[in-house]
Amino acid sequence: MTTLEQTHAVQDSIAEKIKKVQELYADAPEVGRIGLERMMAELKAAAGEGQQKATSAGRTGLRVGKVSELTAIWKFAPGGARRLRALLALLGGNFQGADKVGTLHNMRFVFLDNDTRLLFATAYDGEWDPYIVDFSTKLPDALDALLANLEEYPGMHSPAVGDWIANHQITADGWYVSNPNLTVAETRRLERIGKAVDEFLDKVG
Amino acid sequence: MLSVEESVGGNLPARGPILDLHEIQATVLRPRPAPYFGTHVLLRVDDAQVGRAFLRRLIPYVDSAADSRIAANAWLDVGISYPGLEALGLAQESLQSFPEAFRVGMAARASQLGDDGVNDPKNWDKPFGTGEVHIGVSAFTDSEEKRRRALAIAREQYEGFSGVTVLAMQDFGAQPGDLNALGYKDGIDQPAIDGSGIEPPPVYGRPIKAGEFILGYPGETGVPLPMPQPDILGRNGTYVGFRKYQARVGAFNRFLRANGNTEEERELLAAKLVGRWRSGAPLTLAPDQDNPVLGADPQRNNDFDYANDPHGRQVPFGAHIRRMNPRDTKLTRLTDVNIHRLIRRGATYGRPYDPNALSEADDEVARGSIFLFISAKAMATIEFLQQEWINDGDFIGAGNERDPIIGRQEEGATFTIPKAPVRRRIQGIQTFNVLKGGEYFFLPSISALNWLANPTGG
Repeated sequence: MTTLEQTHAVQDSIAEKIKKVQELYADAPEVGRIGLERMMAELKAAAGEGQQKATSAGRTGLRVGKVSELTAIWKFAPGGARRLRALLALLGGNFQGADKVGTLHNMRFVFLDNDTRLLFATAYDGEWDPYIVDFSTKLPDALDALLANLEEYPGMHSPAVGDWIANHQITADGWYVSNPNLTVAETRRLERIGKAVDEFLDKVG
Repeated sequence: MLSVEESVGGNLPARGPILDLHEIQATVLRPRPAPYFGTHVLLRVDDAQVGRAFLRRLIPYVDSAADSRIAANAWLDVGISYPGLEALGLAQESLQSFPEAFRVGMAARASQLGDDGVNDPKNWDKPFGTGEVHIGVSAFTDSEEKRRRALAIAREQYEGFSGVTVLAMQDFGAQPGDLNALGYKDGIDQPAIDGSGIEPPPVYGRPIKAGEFILGYPGETGVPLPMPQPDILGRNGTYVGFRKYQARVGAFNRFLRANGNTEEERELLAAKLVGRWRSGAPLTLAPDQDNPVLGADPQRNNDFDYANDPHGRQVPFGAHIRRMNPRDTKLTRLTDVNIHRLIRRGATYGRPYDPNALSEADDEVARGSIFLFISAKAMATIEFLQQEWINDGDFIGAGNERDPIIGRQEEGATFTIPKAPVRRRIQGIQTFNVLKGGEYFFLPSISALNWLANPTGG
């Protein structure tokens, strides 16, 4: 139960955060400063109590509702960039392994700094940590083929692989999810139901 | 015995290494007797040397898994918590070699375990979660008389010791008909362990690699799990998650009555929640009515899969046993069902199940179950089960629904029973088992116990 004192404390801390943003924007370019002032009412509402906020997705990363972000940067192993680029081109976005995982909404692979580093970003359901051993017993080949192109990859069967991923993760500062309660499984279920309803309506209509 | 080094190096043999049964505490591999009686004793160590002397006195009563399975006397098992290892004066280097979740303890992992609301550690019975529980001693036997004898022996070991304090004692024992506090026969489904030499009754699936349950052997990934150091401390040991639940029998009975007009309807609903009838007969093999002969037959009561039940019309996806062991159910998430199993040594305490208990006062009667969940990675497995399989339903296509028996329910919780042409969704599910306390213990091998008991060991 929230007491009146707690409510006041939350409001005080929101006021402080707004004040801090305003102070930092004092020397922002003029368009930014004006923009901030004009959206102040909207900002206050968004920062207010009862709004859904991002929380921690376990060890690292952010989560809103059931959907989490994983962002990581690795150095490529020697020759790794060329191999990975060829592999990704071959797949053409058709990741059957990711389909089997059942929690991945999307994945992106971005080559940075003259092909010396990889930016990997994904939106996924829940936490990956509890499933790391499932990946290693169920999908070791696909993951080894993909990740062996990165520096210091210990191998999917190594107990160190979880730490290796977490240590390269960078927690996002901002994370927005439009449908925070729709997991991949739930989306697939709703798709099936929608189709069934349409078929039913086609028959009666 | 085939050593672990030999077996890990090359190709794994078809069957894993033979377990060193003389080293493993009996409770890990020995099922509870039927009927069973026993006591859990929780102790605090105030002086390291006294604590070690206490262990020396207990060791002769700790059976190994190699001892005769029909024990003439009660057997003890001894678990030590992280604060307990500290209190015994274990070296810093060894202490740091334990996994983090074990070091901080079950109460501190409440957010990872979903132990919130009524299950929040701040509502637990003392001394759970206080950091004072250092040693857990459990006595198991097949008669009340032997239980009393064993306790007398245990008492002799700590009485007159000023450095060891008994914090709590909890008797447990089989209820009439071997039913749990909600009136079901339970504890039927146990994982078969490769190399244990125990021929399991017919069960779905293959035996699971011993390293999942006992430290020092290859697990399902082919390599042993990380082990506390030094080797003598970790090898052949394992971890126990101790969780004490109080059954809210009144709420459970009220729920059944609110959703079933006749005794038959209520009992069918009770069976749908669990996936088994009260006798233990699985719904898969007895879909229409209870079959007590089947329920009592260990050769048949666990020998089934869900191949003919892909839509959950016999056993709902959200039913307790389908969640805790999905067998061949097609899950929404990539999951290896063999790496999330636990050996369970559950026991009931307090008053027996009363089908006519309906009041809110009946919810507060001390009765329920104490579980010992045993695994070489018990902390990680319990957290996984709590997060994914108990307090969520997404993994099996049950949306936000939670385990109807041991889940911590939110306001407005539901339970879906798939049916043709339309499913039945039942409102009013409540938290029927409330967590009253929990601790993690390390269950050392016999050699490790001797090493810890040595005045200069560790």
